[in-house]
Amino acid sequence: MDIFLVQQLVNGLAVGLIYALVAIGFTLIFGVLNVVNFAHGEVYMLGAYAGLVLAVALAPPILALLLAVLAVGALLGFGLERIAFRPFRRFRDEASLKSKAVREATLLSSLAVSIVTRELVEKLAGGDMQVVPSTLRLQEPIILSEAFGISGPLGDLVLIDGQLWILAAAVIMFALLQLVLYRTKTGLAIRAVAANPLGAAFVGIHANRTVIATFAIGSAMGAVAGILIGLYTADIQPAMGFAPGVKAFVAMVMGGLSSIPGAVICAILLGVAEALATEWVAQGWSELIAYAALLIVLLLFPTGLFGAGRERV
Amino acid sequence: MNGSRAGFWGAFLTLLFLAVPGVLAAMGSTYGFRVATVCAIFVILGVSMQLITGVAGLLSLGHAAFYGVGAYTAAKLAIGAGLPFIVTLPAAGLMTALVGLLVAVPTMRLVSIYFAVATLGVGQMIFVTLLNWVSFTRGPLGIPAIPGIAIFGVNFSSASGTYMIVAAVTAFAVWVAHRVAHSYHGTALRALREDDQCADAMGVNVPRTKLEVFAVSAFLAGLAGALWAHSTGFVSPTDFRFAESILILAMVVVGGLGSIPGAVLGAVLLALLPEALRFVGDVRQIVVGAVMFAAILFLPRGLLGEVPTLAFIRRALGAGWRAPDGRVLGWR
Repeated sequence: MDIFLVQQLVNGLAVGLIYALVAIGFTLIFGVLNVVNFAHGEVYMLGAYAGLVLAVALAPPILALLLAVLAVGALLGFGLERIAFRPFRRFRDEASLKSKAVREATLLSSLAVSIVTRELVEKLAGGDMQVVPSTLRLQEPIILSEAFGISGPLGDLVLIDGQLWILAAAVIMFALLQLVLYRTKTGLAIRAVAANPLGAAFVGIHANRTVIATFAIGSAMGAVAGILIGLYTADIQPAMGFAPGVKAFVAMVMGGLSSIPGAVICAILLGVAEALATEWVAQGWSELIAYAALLIVLLLFPTGLFGAGRERV
Repeated sequence: MNGSRAGFWGAFLTLLFLAVPGVLAAMGSTYGFRVATVCAIFVILGVSMQLITGVAGLLSLGHAAFYGVGAYTAAKLAIGAGLPFIVTLPAAGLMTALVGLLVAVPTMRLVSIYFAVATLGVGQMIFVTLLNWVSFTRGPLGIPAIPGIAIFGVNFSSASGTYMIVAAVTAFAVWVAHRVAHSYHGTALRALREDDQCADAMGVNVPRTKLEVFAVSAFLAGLAGALWAHSTGFVSPTDFRFAESILILAMVVVGGLGSIPGAVLGAVLLALLPEALRFVGDVRQIVVGAVMFAAILFLPRGLLGEVPTLAFIRRALGAGWRAPDGRVLGWR
């Protein structure tokens, strides 16, 4: 097999894992509130900015940096829920929680919040790429033959330490999320509200608190994804959240909407497909793949590739 | 045509063709005419968006792409084939309507946010194509030197002349949108917006009705694109990116979903507001986002809400059909 193809596969895997981290937050929030959070891409962008500011100012070890960004992301999620979602949940009954009007109002309000956030960041910090100091970048190449003594054709494969960080972060965060969702009371509450908000309220679950917890968890994951990819590609700018946001949404739809593992698998597939496509078409055209995948899935597999049950699309 | 109907249209047309150009000509402001032209183009886009998003309830996040198809069609026809404005304008509309139909046929099945995201996907696909198909669209460089508006040899390419032509097309577009939205067809669209399965059961041909309104809406957006191409003389993909779709959406939301006069008002407001705030710098997007957020929160029905507007239109300029036996049917 062509070594360049394997190299592209590895790069695509890294991009796919980032999409997966963003998609998890998306799916979590969609599962609970049944609304699309258009501001998720901005949480990702703000996570990258906050992480960069912290890293430049304090130069903490990377694990401490990631934990700090995790906290920033949780705060952002809390604020986002307050501003863009809470005012539109005026009524508690199930019909209005899942109604079309609330769904579209929050869709538009999160869209408005995302525009204002992005433009404010552009006004305050400039529209250009931020300078990421080379010491902070996660771009150290690791040649397999030198690092692990692997001989043969695979020895020429080059990994980048950022890719390993992304892989580690994705695995750990995915495992932690499963732990939280299936082994803690908060997770139980989240799953209960996702399944039936009214029923959850009847058995004494505090719906508002659960929604806030969901936003905090989902946004924390988005923010960490932002700083990781920011340091990996050294591309931190106000508009950086749009493309991963759309692709995470595509992954969520492909995975069957409420299934987190499905979304993760589809996000990785998308990342790999985009990276492989650059073998044959110019970089700009590979953007089309996610959108084409979205349309194909919506039209041909309305319940997602993994066949999760859902209402009419 | 009864009295108030004539009065309403008379007031609208007087404002469009006499008051605005009169004041601007008295001020001698080329810049003013340019702003008024852009306003009028956005009014076309606003009513076009209103038909699918407000009246038919299909949230579209890719409307700027149709606008772009119209603009590029007009630009390519005017430069590549040397066709005059009188041909490129309808050609751009028809081409866009065709693209709209191609988009609509597969996506008509989708509802609510799935439709919204499908239109976002289509819009981005068209944008990426405009940006990357360098041999045809010149990519990010854009197409410069598009000839100004001239009809049968009469040159309208001055700022005031361009405004008058754009205003004429705007009046036509508003009239078309009014006739589509305030008719049996509009009532059917509102019915399927509220509950498409119920509308289907009541005998409304849901897919066909949606297709028709989508084609009309895309046609109007294409006209707006052609006017943009001929009035600025330059088109580039950045004029048709996602942010423009959101701007058009914000106009409709602020004006009032489902209300054609609301779309006109929202378009004028959101096109003028950034100009009025020029002294604080380029805050266009922030203003658009903030106004949209405030409108959703405090004025969920919009400035000119659908229900009072419909009641007014029904009373003041209702348009009925005269049946063969002399009865007036429908909107009165």
